[in-house]
Amino acid sequence: MSEGPSPVILTDSSSGDAVPAILLSQIGEEQISDWNQYWRPALEETLARLRANQVPKSRWPQSAHWDWEFKTKQMRGLLAFRGFAVIAQGVTQGLMRVDLNHNARLPAQAGKPLVYVEYLETAPWNRSDIATPRYRGVGSALITAAVDLSLEEDFRGRIGLHSLTQAESFYRDACGMSDLGPDTMYFNLRYFEMTAQQATAFLR
Amino acid sequence: MTLNLSEAEMQALDELSVKKDLSKTAVLRQALRLYQTIEARLELGHKLFIEDTLQNDKSELMLL
Repeated sequence: MSEGPSPVILTDSSSGDAVPAILLSQIGEEQISDWNQYWRPALEETLARLRANQVPKSRWPQSAHWDWEFKTKQMRGLLAFRGFAVIAQGVTQGLMRVDLNHNARLPAQAGKPLVYVEYLETAPWNRSDIATPRYRGVGSALITAAVDLSLEEDFRGRIGLHSLTQAESFYRDACGMSDLGPDTMYFNLRYFEMTAQQATAFLR
Repeated sequence: MTLNLSEAEMQALDELSVKKDLSKTAVLRQALRLYQTIEARLELGHKLFIEDTLQNDKSELMLL
């Protein structure tokens, strides 16, 4: 997987039109600048609205505290970590950080290496749990990038992740990953894994 | 780059390649990633432990 941009297609939710976008195999300064300049104010505005409407905290975006500037600095220079970004209309629409030092847990592939998705987040205006998303397909584009990296690393498409509760149906239903249930060793978040066969089906 | 391995090292590489379902190159890349990650954590003052939950045994792994 080259670090250069590769084309991906998103969907404009309001018109249904295809939106050309690019996938970067890195998180650069421009993405952190977008996060600071666009994502954070949009998220703060959303949180203020949820607070004003007395929406229970359980329905607030669970990734609201994620600091992408810090997460990007943490992986600098380390071979095990990779960052990805989806850009459309000149603005970062989604970010992902993966770790290549993890092993699979499903009995059929236990102990074999996989691409572990540590963090995956779409821009606040693309979140379907907050409002009508501006662009659809950002999460799928990033999961596709994780599967592609897994194939490139000889991991046969295997990926794994712990899901925030708000994203569980995406990984289970849209991505077709196996649900291994809550992980008591990791905040009780449900752990999901994709096998080589599931990866092939997902990429179809 | 040429990598010279002893017979025993080559055998270990072969076994890991089969066990992990990886090419030999991929095994070595994975080993390098893991080694670098551990070194980076140790440099931060972290410690590496090996835990046997069945025996309730936990020991620190000393790395030079």
